[in-house]
Amino acid sequence: MLKKITITLASVALLWACSTGTTDESQPTPQPGNAGSTDRKAMLTNLADNIILPSYASFKTTFDAMLTKADAFAAKPSQASLTEFRQAWTTAYTEWQKVELFDVGPAENHTLRYFFNIYPANTVGIEENIVTGLSASLEVPSSYPRQGFPALDYLINGLGSTDEAILAKYTTAPDAAKRVAYLKRITSQMNTQFTTVYSEWTGGYRDTFVNCTGLDAGCSTSKLVNGFVLHYERYIRSGKIGIPSGAMTNGVVAPEKVESFYKKDISLTLAKTAHQAVVDFFNGKSLKTGQEGPSLKTYLNGLGAKDSRTGTSLTDIINAQMAVSAAQLNAIKGNLHDEVKTNNAAVVGVYTEMQKAVRMLKVDMTTAMSITITYTDNDGD
Amino acid sequence: MTETETSPAPLSIFRIAFGLMMFASIVRFWSKGWIEELYIKPTFFFSFYGFAFVKPLGVWTYGLFAVCGLSALLVAVGLFYRVAAIGLFLSFTYIELMDKSTYLNHYYFTSLVCLLLIFIPAHVYFSVDAYRRPALFADRIPAVYPNALKLLIAILYVYAGLAKINSDWLLHALPLRIWLPARNDTPIIGFLFNYPWVAYVFSWFGCIYDLSIPFLLWNRRTRPWAYAAVVVFHGLTALLFPIGMFPYIMIVTALLFFDWTGVQRSKQPEKAPQPPKGGAPQFQLAPPLGSWGAFSKRLTRIAFTLFFLLQLILPFRYWLYPGELFWTEEGYRFSWRVMLMEKAGYAQFTVKDDTGKRVVVNNTEFLTPLQEKMMSTQPDMLLQYAHHLCDQFAERGFRQPQVYVDSYVALNGRMGKPLVDPKTDLAKERDSLAPKTWITPFDDEIYGF
Repeated sequence: MLKKITITLASVALLWACSTGTTDESQPTPQPGNAGSTDRKAMLTNLADNIILPSYASFKTTFDAMLTKADAFAAKPSQASLTEFRQAWTTAYTEWQKVELFDVGPAENHTLRYFFNIYPANTVGIEENIVTGLSASLEVPSSYPRQGFPALDYLINGLGSTDEAILAKYTTAPDAAKRVAYLKRITSQMNTQFTTVYSEWTGGYRDTFVNCTGLDAGCSTSKLVNGFVLHYERYIRSGKIGIPSGAMTNGVVAPEKVESFYKKDISLTLAKTAHQAVVDFFNGKSLKTGQEGPSLKTYLNGLGAKDSRTGTSLTDIINAQMAVSAAQLNAIKGNLHDEVKTNNAAVVGVYTEMQKAVRMLKVDMTTAMSITITYTDNDGD
Repeated sequence: MTETETSPAPLSIFRIAFGLMMFASIVRFWSKGWIEELYIKPTFFFSFYGFAFVKPLGVWTYGLFAVCGLSALLVAVGLFYRVAAIGLFLSFTYIELMDKSTYLNHYYFTSLVCLLLIFIPAHVYFSVDAYRRPALFADRIPAVYPNALKLLIAILYVYAGLAKINSDWLLHALPLRIWLPARNDTPIIGFLFNYPWVAYVFSWFGCIYDLSIPFLLWNRRTRPWAYAAVVVFHGLTALLFPIGMFPYIMIVTALLFFDWTGVQRSKQPEKAPQPPKGGAPQFQLAPPLGSWGAFSKRLTRIAFTLFFLLQLILPFRYWLYPGELFWTEEGYRFSWRVMLMEKAGYAQFTVKDDTGKRVVVNNTEFLTPLQEKMMSTQPDMLLQYAHHLCDQFAERGFRQPQVYVDSYVALNGRMGKPLVDPKTDLAKERDSLAPKTWITPFDDEIYGF
């Protein structure tokens, strides 16, 4: 009897396999968009080719432009070169928000984020490093808040109350040469780190990424989703909103912990850009065409993830929650540094909505995808 | 009761295979760096209720694993068998009791088998002991010994099968419906996992398999086919799910059901130690346990009976608790409930005191990723961790810390919801076997066992 069942099952499986072939067309619903598909390779391909790589390329353009302006400023510190450097820094920092979420592959291995955006900047440490010169390590964890965009923020926006005062630090001050040298050192450190990551992506990792379709802890989808959720939880919800607003620390407001503390008018732009990047990534929105393609959304739809009580799809629920978070965030005007002090309830409100989204991403989404965060055995009980 | 006798060969084969497999498991565990990862690095351990004294031993934990591995090898070759079996049981059980976040049903099963082996003379045949001490040698043993192990296996399967008779498993094909698509890139058959009907087939087949396989293995006529099914079934689960050694343990364990009479005959002349010289009887019965004779035999029988009664009752203890078992997990462990749930959670703790101190806890400061994952869905662990936080923050200057948790748990594809009442100060709740009143109601029904 058992044998019969086994044989029957095996033959059915075999027949099915033969009759439908092994091409991708055998997927029940291969259409992208709001329809679903459980084809992870299609998802990874779209995410890599239409979002991750173009985002890196786009960031590279603005980042290279910033490096040029930084070199010009270092060669000849002046009001004009400072202004141009600042503009380029602002543009690059904003573009950075669209790539920080790809915490997978080379970026994860080389911990790219640590060299680019750990804030608040440690100004005492930066001044120390300036004095110490080349022997100050830029690789150890304690050095992370002494480099990257936040350190540049301090060095070009935070050294004095006027531009004259800032320029003086690079021209007439006794340690001007050392300061210029440190500025060049951290921009070149950023360049080295980014180039490593980007050249791995363009030099073969892309294929590894799309072909590693398994869901075990070492493969693309699992790492991508883990990194994505971690980014939203720790670096957007906590870093940009929760910590400065005091929502996570007994209401002790910490305006000095906002991103871009010295150029206060862009911190909200950075947060909004980062949030939108997360939403677009979730929906698989192509940077090239603006069209949505295979994504976490279509994958979840393909799995049929929904609220079993109401029948609403999980992706609709997540997108609705993301929209609420974004609306609350967009409602805040001015600069975040002042808003956490004067309009604290609204900022805490953003945190509360983001927290709801975190739960959906971290629990409802990962459980529907059967993605785990553990690396030991597990018999599911 | 009359004593039925049987060949000791299946038991010996089992002893060797089981010992080697245990040894391999220890080597695997060690080489993956899990001893360090799970038992040395963490600063906090989730002990089992009533076993708080069982703690990892720092670097000596390696010694514990070494003892366990060595005992397994000795059991396999049948050298100093009794001592080795006791050592294996104690060291393995100690290891498993150190931290509940690594609890797996097959570890529990392994512990029980080791316990039984202490009382089972699996070394009277084809062992170094029997070779060294010919008086020990026997080629008939009371059938009760292999039968005890078979009974344990049967209980495992039948209870695992009973646990599958529930609406999530049979009517909604959950959680397989969630797990199978995750494997849709498996060569050749992978695409099948995109279809819900396949999850239904797997669910029903799995349930029927668990409920029937012990009987089919026990019955001589169906045995070969049943064993083939064991190999295919567990082979498939090994392929599809990250469940480590479990499938192999079951494949090996099921060998016990064969009587190997043919094998024994052919092997006996060369390999089995010869009976003592001087016209000793051709067939010998295993000597009774120790030297107490009948008394010891009766004692063993009573112990076995109690053991199995407990095994039969324990999985039903959940009837004593209100609420949905899968949600509260009160009475969930030690009950052969395997692969029944896709449960994920998130727990954010807030510690505060009356002086106005308040902090949102970063769990990674106190727990490993595995511990955090396990803690966030299991109420007893949430409570243990809350008490740990209470102690930790009392040391950091909080006065009589209060501990609250913002929890969010999703079970078998349902949308997540709080598992614990967020208004409960967990620092004030005592851990006990009594129902936990601070668990929020499940608000849904899963019918069946």
